[in-house]
Amino acid sequence: MLDTGYRVEIPGGINLDAQVVGPIPRCFAFAIDLAIRGIIFFVLLIASIPFGPTGLGGGFLLIFLFAVEWLYPVLFEVYWRGQTPGKKALGISVINDDLTPVTLGVSLVRNLLRSIDFIPLFYLVGLVTMLSNRRFQRLGDLAAGTLVISVRESNRPALQRDIVPLAPSTPLLRTEQTSIIEFLQRSQQLSEPRQRELAAILEGITHEKGDDGVEQLHRIGAWFLGVR
Amino acid sequence: MNLDKLQVDACIRSGWQALDLGFLMARAWFRSLYFAGLLAMTPLSAVLLLVFWESPFWALAIIWWLKPMWERLPLFIASRKLFDEKSDLWSSFKAFPLKDVLPWLLWRRFSMQRAFDNPVTVLEELKGVQRRQRLRVLHGKYSDVALGNQFVCFCFELLVWFGISLAISFFTPDALGIKVNDSHGDLTVLGEWMFSLSALAAMTLVLPFHSMAGFALYLNRRIELEAWDIEISFHNLANRKRAAAARSVGLLASSVFAVIVCLTASDGVDAATDHSRESASEMIEDVLQGEDFGQEKTLRKWRFRDWNEAVEEDTFPEWIIEFIEWWETNIGWSTDFSGTAALLKVILVLAFAGLLIYLLYRYRGPLSRLGRAGSTEQPPEVLFGLDVTPQSLPPDVPAQVMRLWGEGAYREALSLLYRASLSRLIDRHELAFRASHTEAECAALVKARGIESLSDYFWQLTVVWRQLAYGHQVPAGEIVQDLCRGWTTELSDVAE
Repeated sequence: MLDTGYRVEIPGGINLDAQVVGPIPRCFAFAIDLAIRGIIFFVLLIASIPFGPTGLGGGFLLIFLFAVEWLYPVLFEVYWRGQTPGKKALGISVINDDLTPVTLGVSLVRNLLRSIDFIPLFYLVGLVTMLSNRRFQRLGDLAAGTLVISVRESNRPALQRDIVPLAPSTPLLRTEQTSIIEFLQRSQQLSEPRQRELAAILEGITHEKGDDGVEQLHRIGAWFLGVR
Repeated sequence: MNLDKLQVDACIRSGWQALDLGFLMARAWFRSLYFAGLLAMTPLSAVLLLVFWESPFWALAIIWWLKPMWERLPLFIASRKLFDEKSDLWSSFKAFPLKDVLPWLLWRRFSMQRAFDNPVTVLEELKGVQRRQRLRVLHGKYSDVALGNQFVCFCFELLVWFGISLAISFFTPDALGIKVNDSHGDLTVLGEWMFSLSALAAMTLVLPFHSMAGFALYLNRRIELEAWDIEISFHNLANRKRAAAARSVGLLASSVFAVIVCLTASDGVDAATDHSRESASEMIEDVLQGEDFGQEKTLRKWRFRDWNEAVEEDTFPEWIIEFIEWWETNIGWSTDFSGTAALLKVILVLAFAGLLIYLLYRYRGPLSRLGRAGSTEQPPEVLFGLDVTPQSLPPDVPAQVMRLWGEGAYREALSLLYRASLSRLIDRHELAFRASHTEAECAALVKARGIESLSDYFWQLTVVWRQLAYGHQVPAGEIVQDLCRGWTTELSDVAE
């Protein structure tokens, strides 16, 4: 089964789920960060002019350039929940492969190895390594043991209409409960014939046909959502 | 379309996540998709390259323009693989739809969402108004994601193109005399060929990823619109209920059987818990052999060849001897005596300092304990829940023990003897027991003190006490008498 999901089982048998993020969103995040670094550098360049571009100002400019280039991603990843501004914009974040937050050392390794990923030009090595494993880890990620995952914000619509909840006549597994809830929540996006088609699959449980079946599934979904 | 055989996890993803899924699909099926693209492309490309022998850039431009045609075969094969249907390359090549290709090569060549729109043409085979309506439904909020896919994959193609070209020019030896540029700095024919072929390589390499990302976005939209995930889950639920109904009849019979078995077996259960000591220790062995205790783990790590971790003797380093021998043979002592002496002095001082640091590091444990020994540590007042202060003991311990024993208070009797021993050991022999020590560790500390008769006695007492305290096994009366006698000779003598 092909899936972007990544699962870690922690002691106590609890599963933590995450979605790994591939090259395309990461490219955009990188481009945004590059632009921000460019702006910072430009500001520093202007600020250094009064101090003499070839003397003191130039020296400080080079030091600042070095610091911005190497520390920008590290500081953001460690102190801003694994997100540089670019990653924040794309809703992605860096995390250890056991889904704990990244620490300073890990982030340093990850970002220092950018210099290898950059070979021979513009991250070709990074792209190839990313595509050579199913978690989309570039060389720096592999060395530091980190992942880039998506930070999903769930914005499911609240129940719009009043539904009389109905307890299911038969016990259901958790995945099955979830899919009935989804059936209710996504009913706006599904066409009515399609909803009837789906409800017909569960005729053995609802004992209703057509629109009544749909309605009953909606009521069961509301029950699972905690409406009483 | 058999959703049970769907090879991807049908769940609602965001547009970006759908693109990632597409990259995973391209990874998983890369070989077939790559060769399908190559196969579709090769015949015409070979002809074009032969025609434009002198200036292959023209051929490259035409091949690039015809790219929508090369994307169809990989897409078709992927759509079969998605539902785990076998399709050999040749039959899919014949089924490969060429319809509606003209608009795709003319005005739609400028479309920025080609990979996303392609499945509507290739798989749904819609044209004209129908196609437009279908696309209006599909596009929704995903237009910009499809655009992002097109843009980034274009960048990837450029990146791979220049990466390959650069690698070729890096690794071509100058001695071969191959000139990519002529004296004016323009590309030679050879140079054009190099750039064209690497561009074709880049195009075929990126093509599966680009078209799979678009395909996954299309799939994601259909999963969303048609609720494939819900359908799969509902089917599983319906099947489970049907199977459960069929099983319930069988279950009833077996539960009746189970009740009967339980009733008849209850005597056997009691008998099984009554283990003799031998069978118990065998059982413990068995349990310890089991999977829960101990596990095998394969670790891989780098290390030096001929490295033997066990050898950590404190020998004089071999390399110093070798170095001195090398010095003797190559430089000698006589050539410039004062210089050699000075250098040697520095080396020896450094070596000595290094040795000192090494020794300090090697024995850092004992040394740090040496430092701590000076500090007086309060002896514990309670060990294993037993009060071991001298004040808590009765004046005549053995008599008290025997009195308690006679009354049948075995536990109290032995615990008194044991804690009296501990108390004496702390008090008279100044043994540094700590609250964290176990009984056996205490016994080991006594043994380390080096008084053999005392340690033998204390070990005997410890064993008897542990068996009573934890094993609930009451020792024979003679043993306790012996222990009391032993206490008088070994421990109370000290007091007098």
